[in-house]
Amino acid sequence: MNVLGFAWRSLVRQPARSTLGILGVAAVGALLFDMLLLSQGLLLSMRGLLDRMGFDVRVVSSDQFPGPGPDLDDAQTLAAQIAGLPSVRSVVTIRSESADLQRAGGESVRVTFLGVGGSTVRPWTVVSGRDIAADRELVLNAYAAEELDAAPGDAVLVKAFCFPEDTAPPQQTFRIAGIAEFLFDAPDTLGAATTADDLALACAQEAGKADFVAVVSAGDPEAAAAAISAQHPDLRAMTNEQAVGQLQQRGFTYFRQISTVLSTVTVSFALLLITVLLTVSVNQRLGEVAALRAIGFSQRRVVLDVLCESVLIVGIGGGLSLPLGWLLAQWLDGILKRMPNIPVQLHFFVFEPNALAVHALLLGATAILAAVYPMRIVARLPIAATLRNETVS
Amino acid sequence: MKRRTFLLALSTTLIVAFSSAQTPEPPSILVSRQLAETEGLAEGDVVRLALDAAGAGARPFRIAGVYEPTPDPMRLGTVPREVRMHLPDLLALTSDDDAPTGAEHVARINIALADPANAHAFARSVNGRAPGVFARRAAATGSASTFVVLERFHLAIAVVTIVAATVFLLALTIMLVDERRETVGVLRLIGLPAPRILLQVLLEGLLIASAGALFGLALAWVSEGLINRFFQWRYNTALIFVQVTPRVAALCVAIAVPLGASATLAASWALMRRGALRLARR
Amino acid sequence: MTNAVYHDTVLFADRVSRVFQMPAGPVVAVRDLTLTITQGEHAAIRGPSGCGKSTLLHMLGCVDTPTSGRLLFDGHDVTTLGDRARSLLRLRQIGFVFQRFFLLPMLTAAENVELPQAEAGVPKAERARRTFELLDYVGLAPRAGHRPSQLSGGEMQRVAIARALANRPRLLLADEPTGELDQTTGEQVAALLDRVNADGTALVIVTHDPALAGRARRILTMRDGRIEHEATQ
Repeated sequence: MNVLGFAWRSLVRQPARSTLGILGVAAVGALLFDMLLLSQGLLLSMRGLLDRMGFDVRVVSSDQFPGPGPDLDDAQTLAAQIAGLPSVRSVVTIRSESADLQRAGGESVRVTFLGVGGSTVRPWTVVSGRDIAADRELVLNAYAAEELDAAPGDAVLVKAFCFPEDTAPPQQTFRIAGIAEFLFDAPDTLGAATTADDLALACAQEAGKADFVAVVSAGDPEAAAAAISAQHPDLRAMTNEQAVGQLQQRGFTYFRQISTVLSTVTVSFALLLITVLLTVSVNQRLGEVAALRAIGFSQRRVVLDVLCESVLIVGIGGGLSLPLGWLLAQWLDGILKRMPNIPVQLHFFVFEPNALAVHALLLGATAILAAVYPMRIVARLPIAATLRNETVS
Repeated sequence: MKRRTFLLALSTTLIVAFSSAQTPEPPSILVSRQLAETEGLAEGDVVRLALDAAGAGARPFRIAGVYEPTPDPMRLGTVPREVRMHLPDLLALTSDDDAPTGAEHVARINIALADPANAHAFARSVNGRAPGVFARRAAATGSASTFVVLERFHLAIAVVTIVAATVFLLALTIMLVDERRETVGVLRLIGLPAPRILLQVLLEGLLIASAGALFGLALAWVSEGLINRFFQWRYNTALIFVQVTPRVAALCVAIAVPLGASATLAASWALMRRGALRLARR
Repeated sequence: MTNAVYHDTVLFADRVSRVFQMPAGPVVAVRDLTLTITQGEHAAIRGPSGCGKSTLLHMLGCVDTPTSGRLLFDGHDVTTLGDRARSLLRLRQIGFVFQRFFLLPMLTAAENVELPQAEAGVPKAERARRTFELLDYVGLAPRAGHRPSQLSGGEMQRVAIARALANRPRLLLADEPTGELDQTTGEQVAALLDRVNADGTALVIVTHDPALAGRARRILTMRDGRIEHEATQ
């Protein structure tokens, strides 16, 4: 009977305690797996969303994105200059204000109102109706459409509130071209979008302002960002990677830290508990171990038996922890997504192969370390004294 | 809605200078501890603040003191490089000569009511009387609900940890109770009733669970200090990250002690279901 | 006592002593004892509790190391062997039977007998054959698939004897083999041990049981760590 088979028989000899030990490892392993998913999950998800938007460089006036900072003046000229760079494929200006939308006879609804200029690349996806094609047209997100009880083709009154908010622009009538999905909408986000010119019209301002400029590179975002920075040293060009890096430093760092803390606590917890489980189990079998040594089992063999038991408990439990962890992750993700302003399509727990590898590595190390003390017990077991004690007791 | 701040998002323009006895006393400001540390500022220094990176329109201010910013969990990771100044000084620094009301523009007005219970009604009244102004209760949504969600998240983690701990606890108590199988069998054989033995086991379980809970609290108290110190150093903040309050301690004990005692009882009850003779036999 | 070392000597203990360092002071369990066990010998060691019988047996079986003196197995000094070499010696040359059987409860009778063979690297087919042969030898072939919990005390001890014989040892050491058995069962086990010895395996038994000791050809009586008296029959 090989070492693994012997260890398996040792486990199944006490099915209740072995099952509980394995289930305990599964629960702890599930939590560990989730913390590993959480450590990078938000960043991966955010990066994914930024990439899905289609833009890979963003040009802003300050060091932070998104964040406070002066508008980009004469954004159309700026966009045209950037579009002329060989490393740039297309450029879009984006401005965000707020507006009250109202259908005739209905309640007004305050929405985030985007104005997009430059190329025809749109940071939204039309799901019903059509995209903006004419003047004074807008698209709504589904929630705003539901609140307004509006459908494509309906007319809405738009009263915009635009920075510097020192004037009260008149209401304008817009037509709803379609219902669109905005990647960064939270469940309760009310949103609408139109062209940059039409937003300026609604604001009763000159066209040309933008919060930032979004760029589609010609294939190399780094090169495009560098070229833009060289062309406009007073502005900051950030690739998606850099933008996510900023978010990680500012807003997302908490989840990384808590995942590190909880991963450490979880591994320590598992290590302690498996060590205790194995140690108690070994202490209850010292007579048997001494007898095995007496009949010729080597020190190495009995030590390996203990190690294999640990590996089996942690291995089986670790395997179970993956589907359990996945289910747990869905639950925890659902809890965290209830935070305000979290986009519907953003997730906190995102699978990546690296998390699986780290999980396996940590559990493997736990199995080995947890077995160290009980292995030491059997390695140093005084055979004769133990046999004598067993007989006397 | 766009929001703009005019101050130390543009803080790269700080220039330290000393005033001469002939120039008028510059207005006083307070700087955050973090700003003072990174820029080497001290009380009494005169600095120049400007709105743009080139330093155009910079004005001198004297540092009257250094303050510890109220920790803002929502801005974790951001080192608060902040300055506090009197409102007229801020308006004078930031006013736009082209805007008729430039010297009177503020981003928001915070109001402390005599009766906070009237906040909702007061906000509604202001919204009705002053169009273009948006009044709302301070603690309605936003950051408060973020922390409600985080609290739920932490609670979920705690629940999973407790479940895992309970499973392990059961495994351990089964093993420990099994060690005393023969003793229990002999006691049953000599006539002690099962409830009597279970009571003894329960008392032992309570004792062990109580000792374990107290030890756990001591460990939590030590960890609290270590975790807070680490994160306060890491994020250069005075924020408290972990706090073991009496309520938390009481809750932990209220969960741990019954769980520990119950696990011992459950393991013993399972054992007691076997016949006394079978228990006493080796 | 004999000082002669015969060419068919299996085991020669040369002035071996065993001293245990206890908090209250050293305890001399075996004092300067010399003993020879020859091929096919059947010896019993008797004595009051605490006279050093089991300690001597453990030293003879290389489970314990003498504090002084030498132990020669087949003419080779095994006193200074490392743990690995001593384990191999016990695995291949020495069989042990314990008072409390020490069968592994999660293995069947057959698996318990097969275990030392597997550890010694015996091929699977040979193991199966040998296991059946041994269980048949001890009269338990029909119980091969039963676990120790399903066997009586006497049956467990017979399986333990089969296990001890698994790798054809030259020497079988038994420490109170009938200590946990009733008289009838004890006699069955004693008869089995006689048969083992008759088939060529040297046998040394430590026992309180006068009936069991009386079956040996050589009876050594110990007191205070020494062989006080030796009788041959």
